[in-house]
Amino acid sequence: MIRLRNVEKFYEGGYGRSYVLRRVNVDIKEGEFVTIMGNSGAGKSTLLSILGMLDGAWTGEFEFLDQMVHRMKPKDRVELNKKYIGFVFQSYHLIDNLTVYENLDIPLSYRNVKSSERAAMVCDALDRFHIVGKRDLYPSQLSGGQQQLVAVARAVIANPKLILADEPTGNLHSSQGKEIRELFKKLNGEGTTIVQVTHSLENSTYSDRVIQLADGWVVSGGSDPASTEPRP
Amino acid sequence: MHQFAQDLRYGARLLVKAPAFTAVALLALALGIGATTAIFSVVDTVLLKPLPFRDPERLLVVWEKNPSQNRYKLFVAPVNFQAWRKASRSVEQMAAFQENLHINLTGGPNGHIDPEELKAERVSANLFPLLGVQAVVGRTFRTEEDQPGHANFVLLSHSLWQRRFAGDPSIAGKAIRLRDQPYVVVGVLPAGFSVMESGVDVFIPLGLNPNDARSANGRFLTVIARRGGTLEQVRGELEGVGAQMERAMPALDQGWRPSIFVLEDELVGGVRQALWVLMAAVGCLLLMACVNVANLLLARVPTRRKEFALRAALGASRGRIVTQLLSESTLLSLGGGLLGMLLATAAVKLLAYAGPASVPRLAQATVDFRLLSFALAVSIFTGILFGIVPALRDSGTSLSAALNEGGRGGTAGRSGRALRNALVVSEMALAVIVLIGAGLLMRSFVRLRSVDPGFQPAGVLTARVPLSGGRNSAVDRRVAFFQQLTARVATLPGVRVVGAVNGVPLSGLGLGSPFAVEGRPAPSAEQRPTAVLRSVTPAYFQTMAIPLVAGRALTDSDNRQGPPVVLVNQTLARRFWPGASPIGGRIAIDQNAGRVAEIVGVVGDVKPERIDGEDWPTIYNPYAQVPASTMTLTVRTAGPPMALASALVREVHLLDPDQPVAEVRPMEEVVDRAVANARFNTLLLGVFAGVAFLLAAVGIYGVTSYDVTERTNEIGIRMALGAQPGDVLKLILGQGARLAVYGIVAGLLGAAALTRLMGAMLYGVNPTDGWTFAAISILLAIVALAASYLPSRRAMALDPVTALRHQ
Repeated sequence: MIRLRNVEKFYEGGYGRSYVLRRVNVDIKEGEFVTIMGNSGAGKSTLLSILGMLDGAWTGEFEFLDQMVHRMKPKDRVELNKKYIGFVFQSYHLIDNLTVYENLDIPLSYRNVKSSERAAMVCDALDRFHIVGKRDLYPSQLSGGQQQLVAVARAVIANPKLILADEPTGNLHSSQGKEIRELFKKLNGEGTTIVQVTHSLENSTYSDRVIQLADGWVVSGGSDPASTEPRP
Repeated sequence: MHQFAQDLRYGARLLVKAPAFTAVALLALALGIGATTAIFSVVDTVLLKPLPFRDPERLLVVWEKNPSQNRYKLFVAPVNFQAWRKASRSVEQMAAFQENLHINLTGGPNGHIDPEELKAERVSANLFPLLGVQAVVGRTFRTEEDQPGHANFVLLSHSLWQRRFAGDPSIAGKAIRLRDQPYVVVGVLPAGFSVMESGVDVFIPLGLNPNDARSANGRFLTVIARRGGTLEQVRGELEGVGAQMERAMPALDQGWRPSIFVLEDELVGGVRQALWVLMAAVGCLLLMACVNVANLLLARVPTRRKEFALRAALGASRGRIVTQLLSESTLLSLGGGLLGMLLATAAVKLLAYAGPASVPRLAQATVDFRLLSFALAVSIFTGILFGIVPALRDSGTSLSAALNEGGRGGTAGRSGRALRNALVVSEMALAVIVLIGAGLLMRSFVRLRSVDPGFQPAGVLTARVPLSGGRNSAVDRRVAFFQQLTARVATLPGVRVVGAVNGVPLSGLGLGSPFAVEGRPAPSAEQRPTAVLRSVTPAYFQTMAIPLVAGRALTDSDNRQGPPVVLVNQTLARRFWPGASPIGGRIAIDQNAGRVAEIVGVVGDVKPERIDGEDWPTIYNPYAQVPASTMTLTVRTAGPPMALASALVREVHLLDPDQPVAEVRPMEEVVDRAVANARFNTLLLGVFAGVAFLLAAVGIYGVTSYDVTERTNEIGIRMALGAQPGDVLKLILGQGARLAVYGIVAGLLGAAALTRLMGAMLYGVNPTDGWTFAAISILLAIVALAASYLPSRRAMALDPVTALRHQ
């Protein structure tokens, strides 16, 4: 599903280039649950942004569902994002002045889904995540766990093939964190590919594989050991 | 004290560090405070300050009215004035004057002086004690000086005394020459003194002769009364006297009655509405300025909130924080106030200098410091309300809450945004109202300027040559003088045609007279028609390009030896010969001693008084047959009219070095003056509309721009969820457009209610003119979209990764 070859990200500074990612080679198969780990500044979130088509300033090759992302225009990359990817953030990133219902509706509104279908899909999601009673509340009226639940619901509402999660339980206490972890596991079980960035070892135990980053380099787990493709 | 100074220093530093915020806030405050103070200063001087007379509320002006002819403010016949004065008990004193006179100054106390035509009034001696006005040098008139035949006394205006006699403190008792006769100066009146008409140079005794039936029965006086009883008593009593006079003198008074008004209403009534409209407009501006400042301050609240939480955590008391905020707010308001005061001072000076002469006492306007203080207080209050209160409300919240607020994941709050949006909507609404007001006046002005006055003013030079009282005033001499003068001027290079008239169009009705059509039954005295009378040289119509519609033009042979002839205008022809030709008809003109003349031609109508006024029936006498004492030369030139001005004056002085020449000006200037009031109102409201426009644009830009900053995180989220740049543009632009629509709709409703009050200021335009309403709405919508577009572009260019990290 995802194939990164020699992907590099750097900033031009006064003393030359400052690398955030270096020669990153990563393969992720459809249906995998992958965790990216590493210390602060290792490049985890940057790698996730590149995978989510939010960051376009990098070099190398990026193949996503057999499409050459590195050759695409920014607009087409956004289309890929819209079509296949859902995001979950550490700080939920719900829009404060929209209700739960409206927050869930946003991704659909950007995908030109008809309003009648949208309403049905939002109601399904509310039902599926057991948040029907919260539909008219604003994010500030929810607990952190409930907010993250809404954020996950929003990430999956458009049926993405890939969910990218950046520290999804970072702001939650343990029981709420567990709930989200199990939700991810369930979604993965239903066929959704999940790539999460986390510092938490407990989180990583839910995944199939851990990609370890250090100072921008992939130190381990870049490819599935079962894969026949030789490592570069 | 030390702390306060420190706060001021810190406040000043903050303002300097945010130059855009400071500049916009100062500009908004300066414009709001400056414009409001300037206009209120004018309103105060013109409308609110009492007239500079004793007990001004008891002063009345009495005209004559003839309801059957639909005339309510006509001059008073001396015989009626004397009858009212004798019979009225509810009036303490009654005085009269004749205005709009011109007298030639031909000699000073020391002999020769450069001749000048002076604006004069004949006044009854008791006018000054009635008004409670005393001379600053010498005295006013004594009763015995106000006698016919013994009235060669003169009072000088303060400005004439300064201008022509160098403020000579011993001028009283000296003689000057007026109308070629010696007049004794009895005194000098206070600076700025005027009753109805401003700019009068000299006052001479009225010297009414009750035995002279001709002068006693003409209508030319303005009567001022000081009431003893109530206004109703005076009205009732004078009505009774009027009825008696109608019975006693039916030829003069049938259908005529006294018509009484409060003097102050008469003086300022014409400009009151315009000034209040302007006042309302600047009130809107001050509000808009405050709204802008409020919005700017509100936008700073979230960033300041953290600072105050930190300060509180470090031990600052609430009072200490308030002092600091107050010092900042006061600094801003004082800065705006100072700039506003400079602006107001300059604006008042400009208004006093360039305002139309028809606005009474405008020249005396000075900056009103009471209102300046009020405007300053409003701006400080705004600062406190929108800068301090929200910050304080939050300074009570916990440090961690304040520090965490707006941290990772925080998108814009609802309440702050709603308040700012409401403020922008109200600002847009105010802008719509001011702009529609200005738009209506502009359309009205354009309509006014497109009215065909009946002549072509371009390329015509005019010059008044008053012969009255001088050596050229004898009737025979007048005709000869003008024949020679027009002949000489006609030979000047660049002159095409030279004519003359005793009153150019748009300079006032001038002399009028009842007349009768010969061979038709004489109407009753009250139904007797009146026409404007003009004396013209044959070439007059050619110089002014007034078309001959029927019959023939006047010629040089229409002189005293020839049969009496006249031309009439189309209005007279239509009214008295409907559907028939008036050529060959004969009319008897009362004012010309019953002269009966044959109508030989019909000329086009010209506006005699106001460009938006009615066309009056007009009779044109040949100058050679009815020579007026004061004529205005009308010279059609090949080049710019004023290029010939000095040559024209030289020709007059070559004929007679002591002959004054006045009002040497292009005819276009006369037309300009006729629309001066409308232009003044349009210009002022136009300037205010410009300011309102700017404030609205800045307001909507500021809010949208702040909105983008505040929503950076939200925009990042939306992009992460699949929003394309176009979606972001729609989001931000849509927000601006929504505010604009709400504001415009509210403004249209407000304007529909308020512009009705402007009805009397408009010409040919409905106060709810759909075109203006639509045009202003579209204009403001475009501005709102343009003002929102710039921040939208910034939003579209946001990097989603950075935006998601935005705090």
